[in-house]
Amino acid sequence: MKLRTLLSLCAGASLSMLTACASTQPAQDMSDYDPIEPVNRVVHGVNGAVDFMVLYPAAMWYRDIAPQPVKTAVRSFVRNIGEPVNALNSLLQGEPDQAADTVQRFIMNTTIGFLGFNDVAADFGIEYHSEDFGQTLGHYGIGGGPYIVLPLLGPSNLRDTTGIAVDYVANPMTWGSRNSDTLDNLYLGSLALTALDARYRTLNQLNELQQTSIDYYAALRSLYRQQRNAAIRNGADPSAPNFEDESASADFDDAFEAAAN
Amino acid sequence: MKSRFTIPALAAAIVSTTGLLAGPAFAGNANTAPSLTVEVAVSSNASEVIKTLANEAIIGLTDQSLSNDTRRQNFVALMDRYFAMDVISRFVLGRYWRSISEEELNEFADLLQDYLALNYASQFKDFNGEQFVVGDEKQQNKDTFVNSQFVRPDGPPVSIIWRLREFGDDYKIIDVTVEGLSMGITQRDEFTAVIQKNGGKVSALTENLREKVGK
Repeated sequence: MKLRTLLSLCAGASLSMLTACASTQPAQDMSDYDPIEPVNRVVHGVNGAVDFMVLYPAAMWYRDIAPQPVKTAVRSFVRNIGEPVNALNSLLQGEPDQAADTVQRFIMNTTIGFLGFNDVAADFGIEYHSEDFGQTLGHYGIGGGPYIVLPLLGPSNLRDTTGIAVDYVANPMTWGSRNSDTLDNLYLGSLALTALDARYRTLNQLNELQQTSIDYYAALRSLYRQQRNAAIRNGADPSAPNFEDESASADFDDAFEAAAN
Repeated sequence: MKSRFTIPALAAAIVSTTGLLAGPAFAGNANTAPSLTVEVAVSSNASEVIKTLANEAIIGLTDQSLSNDTRRQNFVALMDRYFAMDVISRFVLGRYWRSISEEELNEFADLLQDYLALNYASQFKDFNGEQFVVGDEKQQNKDTFVNSQFVRPDGPPVSIIWRLREFGDDYKIIDVTVEGLSMGITQRDEFTAVIQKNGGKVSALTENLREKVGK
């Protein structure tokens, strides 16, 4: 598959660049570093066109046709497919308990949950955690690096693109599907469902962002950065104030002083 | 699910997992719940402000019989009362606010309010069954952060954190963060990108805003 080759290439190229800048604190990206913005904007535009022609109508159809129980089952299935990768990354981030929970979820849901279509583990109170290798890198202090809009996959950055490639290689489904047509079909099917589910869940928000924003691209870029920062610091007390964006703090102080005078 | 594979729909996933745009939406939601504002933690100044804001928003924004215009006007009035709009206006202009006159800044602030009202006021129209729960508050440097949750009947609760600063004798809101996404930072990043694209001219942004709000 071409995509596979492409991803492995990206992984190789970017890993070496990344390791140069690691520190011990979780990485918090404070501003949008976007050296290839013109290229990104073009890819962003193409993605938008593909979305408009394919994913958006599919998601609308899914929203209107599929009953809620079906949507819930699909959601649960696509999550379950990703659990081995979640478990691995939890482990890499030094969260053995969370990894154990995830393994337990995977076993329960795959068996008595019928391939994950039922999230029975949730009924037992075992929580879902989503961890990917981009977050793992962030956890060890690697910053996002340049912003990259990936074809079809959308917003990313160098670190997270590397993460996608590593997760892809680390995913048992990747290897299993080479030797089994059944697994291959299941995997491809799950990717399609994942895309559909993700698009369905963002229908309203993206529509709204597109309508209200003055620069949709820039808004998306900012939100991607913030959302990844939030995902990386997931260990933090959820009730704690968010990790301070230092540049924002300085700007607020600045603005505040000017306004007070 | 493995995050990035989920994004095939452009940014989809990103935005999705969070409630992002929802930001203001919540503000909306929050207040909308015709139901009630539940008080959870100790009442103190900053969280008191948030509770009052929520109650006033329920009264002023959720009534279905309100016309769009009136709802927008009420929204602007609430911003006037509870938000430090002058601070926010400067903040969202990034470093560019220094390059414009006081007059232009005021004009921008007015436009910003209209723009926000246009985008978010209508979201207060149709909520029911939701609850807005005000939690504890934390002091961090100069600011007080008030935690709150918007509890929906279907789906997990949404975390909203209000950032307030003492302004004269009052606490005023200077930022709202929804599920880790700061409205102020998002707006700043977008606005400064627009200004940058236009050779650092703030007037290009105000022109855009004027067009959006139809003035």
